[in-house]
Amino acid sequence: MIKLKGKSPRKKRLGLIFGAGYLVLLLLFAIFGPMIRNAQLSDVAKKVDPDIRVYNAVLDPVSSSPFAPAGGAATLGTDELRRDIVARLAEGARVSLTVGLSVQLIALLVGVTVGVLGVLAPKWIRNPLMRFTDGMFAFPDILLAILIVSVVGLGMGPVIFALSVTAWPSIARLVASQVATLKDREYVVAAKAAGASNFYLVTRHILPQITGILLAYSMIDLAGTILAESTLSFLGIGVQEPQPSWGGMINGARLNMNSYPVLLIWPCAVLSLTIFALNFVGDGLRALSDPRDRSA
Amino acid sequence: MQLARALSTRFLLGLLSLLFISFVTFLADEIQPGDAATVLAGEKASAETIARLRENLGLNRPWPIRYVEFVSKAVRGDFGTSYYGVKEPVGQLVGRNVTMTITIASSAILLASAIGIFLGTLAAVWQNKPPDQGILFISTFGVTLPNFVLAPILAYFFALQWDVLPLTWSVDRVAPDYYYLILPVVVLAMRPTALLTRLTRASMVETLRQEFIRTAIAKGVPPFRLYVKHALRNAILPVITAIGTSFGFLLTGSFVVETYFLLPGLGSTTIDAIRKGDVPVVQACVMLTGAIFIVLNLFVDLILPILDPRIRESQV
Repeated sequence: MIKLKGKSPRKKRLGLIFGAGYLVLLLLFAIFGPMIRNAQLSDVAKKVDPDIRVYNAVLDPVSSSPFAPAGGAATLGTDELRRDIVARLAEGARVSLTVGLSVQLIALLVGVTVGVLGVLAPKWIRNPLMRFTDGMFAFPDILLAILIVSVVGLGMGPVIFALSVTAWPSIARLVASQVATLKDREYVVAAKAAGASNFYLVTRHILPQITGILLAYSMIDLAGTILAESTLSFLGIGVQEPQPSWGGMINGARLNMNSYPVLLIWPCAVLSLTIFALNFVGDGLRALSDPRDRSA
Repeated sequence: MQLARALSTRFLLGLLSLLFISFVTFLADEIQPGDAATVLAGEKASAETIARLRENLGLNRPWPIRYVEFVSKAVRGDFGTSYYGVKEPVGQLVGRNVTMTITIASSAILLASAIGIFLGTLAAVWQNKPPDQGILFISTFGVTLPNFVLAPILAYFFALQWDVLPLTWSVDRVAPDYYYLILPVVVLAMRPTALLTRLTRASMVETLRQEFIRTAIAKGVPPFRLYVKHALRNAILPVITAIGTSFGFLLTGSFVVETYFLLPGLGSTTIDAIRKGDVPVVQACVMLTGAIFIVLNLFVDLILPILDPRIRESQV
């Protein structure tokens, strides 16, 4: 038999476990990393730089070179402004996860509403709504995000807004296609015949059926959102310095790339690993939520 | 007839999305503090001077009128002058930079198509064997690895460690121009190459399972002829569509590459203008980028029925 899917279910389950494990570690790192860092900093360092939570300046303010070697007081060393790389990575993880999760939450709310309305609403609402969704879907995400950022402004809030606007159409299309097939299933028709309202049908009979697929899709889409956030920050039109972000760190590393490639390697590695992990988890969840895939 | 109707619908939808973009870009000027009058008058101007200037420029009229004027001027390529530097006309500034974007995007799509179709065909021929698995594994990286991670890595090795290619574009170039474009084009081509490889493979695998291929094998067609003339010709159509859309994404998505390698192109101009708050330049760049993308997608819709008689005869 010809195998169409690239990975076997067993490999997918393994990917799911490793991906999920990495993501849990990342989440803990994002939550507790900056806190531990702050506790370790001496009072001297806090006096040198009062804005310590953002800057995370290093313990030794008298050394002539701002770059501390890895393994000392700063585990991975420091950057050109004496900022601890680990602490900045943790802050960057915070930014990426905050932006990513907020965007997915907003996109799910909007996307599910539009997707359901796009199938069940009266024709004069349904058709223009789905045409509009298709139009938004066809447009390149990053171009749309840049367009919105150019109107709304720079910073974390605008990034969340811009990426939410680009993220909902694909969810709406997914929900619409699922609802369209589910609404004619016998159990739904039976409930309808028994006098159930549309709202009851959707919330009790249709949406519970698609939560698995939606969750899997959101995970993969979360990778796209984090990537887009990093891209905007890399271009300098996303999260603004001194707020650390992975994209901003990669951009900042170019100045001293030749002598201090570590500044480049760590944010690149963490970002790429996160993207891979999210894709693995999404793939694994999809395999779990699709019974055909599970039995294969 | 149905085809003509479908195509004209697409055309109208394209125009509609362009109008939508123009409205959002117009909003950019409305929302942000300051306008052409405050910029032209300079920092030390009094309130009266600005008010007079605003009246002369027609900025005190209601926004629907100004929007119509904005669109009618935009259609003729008139976006006013840049807020900064020598206050160059925006049309001229953008026109100067668009050549670079077109050059790198077309080079990248040529490179991606050649490598993608070649590797994809190889992978399909050796389906589920080590070469296929290797190609699929690498292409997974190609799809997921972001441009701004690949660009510094390649730059680090090729420009800094081995010193065989220049790091960034500069005004005083010592080598021929194309030398400076190798790294940007390679970085830009990575994602479409990976996508086209996967698509060609999938399409070829599908085609190779069909009966006319079995017939061809049975009547003794030599392998090269079988794969290229019989299979690839049939499998290439979805790939051509994808080349078209990828080209659209390259032309409108070279922000990162242009910014990183300091190339004077449409993408880097847009980013620069957003950071400086140079509204007319942002408006022109965004409108032009959107227009390019929409026109290119229309073109892909147009070219498919020409290439494939099956689509021409059935409805779209």
